[in-house]
Amino acid sequence: MKSRNSKTVRQNFRNGVLFCSPLIIGLLVFTVYPVLASLYYSFCRYPMLKPPVWIGLANYRTLFSDTVFYTSLWNTAYYAAVSTPLCIITAFLLALMLNQKVKGMAVFRTMFFVPSIVPMVAGSVLWLWLLNPQYGLINIVLRGMHIPAPGWMADPLWAKPALILMSTWGVGGSMLIFLAGLQDVPTDLYEAADIDGASFIRQLWHITIPFLSPHIFFLLVMGFINAAQYFTQAYVMTGGTGGPVDSTRFFSLYLFQNAFQYWKMGYACAMAWVLFVVILLFTLLLFKTSAKYVYYGGEK
Amino acid sequence: MALFRVLRYAICTILIVSSLVGCRSGESQSKTPIQVISIWHPFGGVQKEEFDQVVDAFNKSHPGIHVDTLFTPQDDSNNQKFFTAVAAKNVPDVIVVGGHQTPAWAEQGALEPLDDRLIKSGVKPEDYFAPCWRQNTYRGRVWALTYGADPNFALIWNKRIFKEVGLDPNRPPRSIEELDRYNDKITRVVNGKIERMGIIPWSRYGVGNAMLTWGWAFGGNFYNPKTRKITANDPKVIKALEWMVSYAKKYDMTKIGAFGQGQGSREQNPLYLGQVAMQLCYIPDLSDIRMYAPNLDYGLTFLPSPPSGEDHSSWVGGYCLAIPKGCRNPNAAWTFVEWCCHTPQGTSAVGRLMGMFPGYRKSPYFRDIKDDPHYSIFLQILRECRHQRPVIPVQPFYTEALGRALEMALYGRMTPEAALGKATTDVQVELDLAIACK
Repeated sequence: MKSRNSKTVRQNFRNGVLFCSPLIIGLLVFTVYPVLASLYYSFCRYPMLKPPVWIGLANYRTLFSDTVFYTSLWNTAYYAAVSTPLCIITAFLLALMLNQKVKGMAVFRTMFFVPSIVPMVAGSVLWLWLLNPQYGLINIVLRGMHIPAPGWMADPLWAKPALILMSTWGVGGSMLIFLAGLQDVPTDLYEAADIDGASFIRQLWHITIPFLSPHIFFLLVMGFINAAQYFTQAYVMTGGTGGPVDSTRFFSLYLFQNAFQYWKMGYACAMAWVLFVVILLFTLLLFKTSAKYVYYGGEK
Repeated sequence: MALFRVLRYAICTILIVSSLVGCRSGESQSKTPIQVISIWHPFGGVQKEEFDQVVDAFNKSHPGIHVDTLFTPQDDSNNQKFFTAVAAKNVPDVIVVGGHQTPAWAEQGALEPLDDRLIKSGVKPEDYFAPCWRQNTYRGRVWALTYGADPNFALIWNKRIFKEVGLDPNRPPRSIEELDRYNDKITRVVNGKIERMGIIPWSRYGVGNAMLTWGWAFGGNFYNPKTRKITANDPKVIKALEWMVSYAKKYDMTKIGAFGQGQGSREQNPLYLGQVAMQLCYIPDLSDIRMYAPNLDYGLTFLPSPPSGEDHSSWVGGYCLAIPKGCRNPNAAWTFVEWCCHTPQGTSAVGRLMGMFPGYRKSPYFRDIKDDPHYSIFLQILRECRHQRPVIPVQPFYTEALGRALEMALYGRMTPEAALGKATTDVQVELDLAIACK
């Protein structure tokens, strides 16, 4: 009896693995192998069409003395530090507004969600025109209000803020997550708070935000990872140059240029691993500290 | 169960029969065996249709060969699809390569040298405009033939604006000093906002190329092939950059940047819109003008240069055809390359159908256009052309470094001398590595 049982277990295991095998093979071939290969290439001089040549730590050493590398790191950190929280706040405020019981709410929700399904390239081109310093809608409005109109993508000082402003346009996904979260906040808490005479702000601070903190945390982690890999918009809006004067040369853009424009695949792989380590450390830091500010309900 | 078995047999039979039929129909066609070859090209939009017409003309005149075309986008340094194909050893038979990319692609081992075929077909260097030939010769071998030479640049000017500000509409600037004077007259700044400029010297075809164009016009040099030294810090190149920076300083770079944002080619070309009065111009602009600004009253001339510079300065770019290493039908591929680049029929077709100048000096196409007031200027420029981009395997990196130097200097982050000095050292390091690493 026992042997038959273990035979079935083994058979089930074998069949299970066979059924999963497309996924397992796909993961091994298209994810694990490239990841490991890129680690190997990061120690090589590898111009792609010629075989890689082992050069030890040379790529990493060059990297840490490359001024453009630091510029790109700074650009990315700047973008991540400003854009991530800004997008979360925008999404949260939008979700709060779209959670009201008003007629035609579905229409409003759709309107605010639509930008996030516009393809990134199309959105970037659109924003390039909105941000046009001479004829753009944004500057026309600013001039109308007698506010000095910046040069946006033409000015090294304003190029990053322009991209950050643009990022708030695509918060539809985050907004949906908050909306879902808002449905989960127990209404009896609000009722109790109302009876106690708590103001809207106090309710927000003591009920809504604690209940939404897991969502905020999730968006913070994902937002940071996305911001660290920021590429498409900068590539499209600057014609792949990262200009003016390197102000939008983000880490991934510089990585791409090294890999596919200068054919320094080894160097680009080294950059990718540095980026991976940075993201890993920062995410770990976020997780380690999360117990202090994330409330999963019922524990306290 | 039985039903399944029957079905299985039925499907197998259908498959086998259909594959046999497929073979037979192939056989019946191949009485005169047709060799199908493929070419990958970067010509999009209208150019794609024109290129297809060139290929059709070849297919009609060569019954034994059929050329298939495939559009593969290409940037300044790279054609990703092609490179992937090379890595996978599954290449097309002919590839279009930018003249400045030839040495890099050859160095990467992606191309087949053409020397033996050139000797057999009697193709000689003197058949081609010298810079066209030079840009395809690397490490003593020839890797590609020029398909469309692209003499860079003519100066185009808008006669209407010249008249409007009291300049003689038929007298373009002949020196840098004159160009500056004209620019001052034409440029209009209202409430701190630039509304019109005479010229933005670096505004078209990329900042890296602008550095090359004016560097040569000022009499500078970018590379010494004998010593294999990068010479972007040549005092005359620095002079050229200082001249461009003088524009950035005079009008405030961020304001010029703001003015230039959104300006582009085709219908957004600021020259057609009267936003600038002078511009650098290349051959395809002429067909653009016909399409987007048919009423533009304009003239074309050589680039102006300073007294210590180079008169009638220009350099050549353009597209070339090469045979990738390991292609399946190199002989048929060569027939196509030779037809397009080295025969009267082929080069005329390229000229007439695509509006590109062949690199082949004796092409009958040049007789067609020699009396055209605008095309003939470009022909003169091509005939007098002395330069091509440095024939080095790190050319894309070099152009990019020059562009960076220009931007840094324009925005006042570095002095022209320091910026070009940095470009020189950076590119030299890359070049030495590429040459050492055979």
